[in-house]
Amino acid sequence: MAATLQLQIKVGDPRPIFRQIVDGIGLAIVSGELQPGDQLPSVRTLGMQLSINPNTVARAYAELATKGLVDSRQGLGLFVGQRKQMLNRGERNKRLQSAVQRCVNEVMHLHFSDEEVLKAMESQLAALHGTQKKGLG
Amino acid sequence: MLRNVIETRGLCKSFDRKQALHQMDLCIPAGGVHALIGSNGAGKSTLFRILLGFLTADSGDCLLLGQDSRQLTPELRGRVGYVNEEHTLPDWLQVQRLKAMQQQLYPQWNDNVYRQVVGNFDVDPTQRVGSLSRGERAGVNLAMALAQSPELLILDEPTLGLDVVARQAFLEAILFCTQSNTTVVYCSHQMDEVERLAESLIILERGEVKVNCSLDEFSGRVQQWMVPAESRELVLQKVPQLLSSRVIEDHLWMYVLDAPPAFASQLKLLGIAEATGASVSLPDAVRAFMTRHHAGQE
Repeated sequence: MAATLQLQIKVGDPRPIFRQIVDGIGLAIVSGELQPGDQLPSVRTLGMQLSINPNTVARAYAELATKGLVDSRQGLGLFVGQRKQMLNRGERNKRLQSAVQRCVNEVMHLHFSDEEVLKAMESQLAALHGTQKKGLG
Repeated sequence: MLRNVIETRGLCKSFDRKQALHQMDLCIPAGGVHALIGSNGAGKSTLFRILLGFLTADSGDCLLLGQDSRQLTPELRGRVGYVNEEHTLPDWLQVQRLKAMQQQLYPQWNDNVYRQVVGNFDVDPTQRVGSLSRGERAGVNLAMALAQSPELLILDEPTLGLDVVARQAFLEAILFCTQSNTTVVYCSHQMDEVERLAESLIILERGEVKVNCSLDEFSGRVQQWMVPAESRELVLQKVPQLLSSRVIEDHLWMYVLDAPPAFASQLKLLGIAEATGASVSLPDAVRAFMTRHHAGQE
């Protein structure tokens, strides 16, 4: 049976809908909410659940497969893959830099001190590790 | 296999002295949901009337499912569904009578689709069309259009005036009851609907096609930048990519189109050192794009 996914799509988000799905499922995998071997809902089911075009879901699934986060089994559907890092160090670093850059752009005009920003970042990471442990245990 | 469901080349149409379509070149490929938007008077209605053969163009070519719009056969008309916000149906007929009549007219009639869509709207089949609510009427109209299994379905602001529940039922019917070989052209000013439904975006402006690409590609072309408010004059004069701008307290917030990767350096060369950019949502990108058009009219 396919896993149930608690995804929320925000229309009017700067991220296109397919990107929100990729991010949402990626996060569910990292946080342990989805375990290796879990089956993802079909393209049509997730499309209906989110009231979006199924082709958009298909695009998101294709990207997750390219990233190596999910494996497709012929005729059976998509399954969460074993956790492995597909990207090389250079690419990972590039993505880290661009994500941090976006974050800095977002917060720079909010007039927080650097310490406050770093602290907020640390507490988010701590929360993530917390759910990860729970998910695995 | 048909490549384009709609194809126009150099299409022109004027009313008195007002030009409604100006050398319009438009290709809509078969398959998928395509959003068509444009401010009032952009030429949308004129385009549809010419496409469906209700109006003749002054010059240019216009093909509907590969056939010249001036010589549409009844057989071809049967392969095209058209639903607009008026949902024109005969008021005196019972819903089930109307359905029975339609069913006989269309050889490709799919009764499963009809029942599924009408079921979404909770319509009593013995009711007269005239006593249906606005949402139910829209539902019956859409159910009949989808049950004809059209190759091309044109929806011209079909959810105008519907409440949130009826609107949701309408969207779901389009997404999940549309046959796989149906191409949908969806006109709406509701950007949340467009974002959920469509794969490609076409923007008409003053009788011309200004944008025709995927949704993501279009929102990727527009960015929002924030610079100090005192650089306003400089920006207005020296930034050709500017779509719209406004000053909020100490900052000028501006939308730009097709900014180069080195846009921050470009601003720095103008003497604007403090500038930050961010990507924008599809509704914001479309609004910014259409604002420029409005400003340009003055």
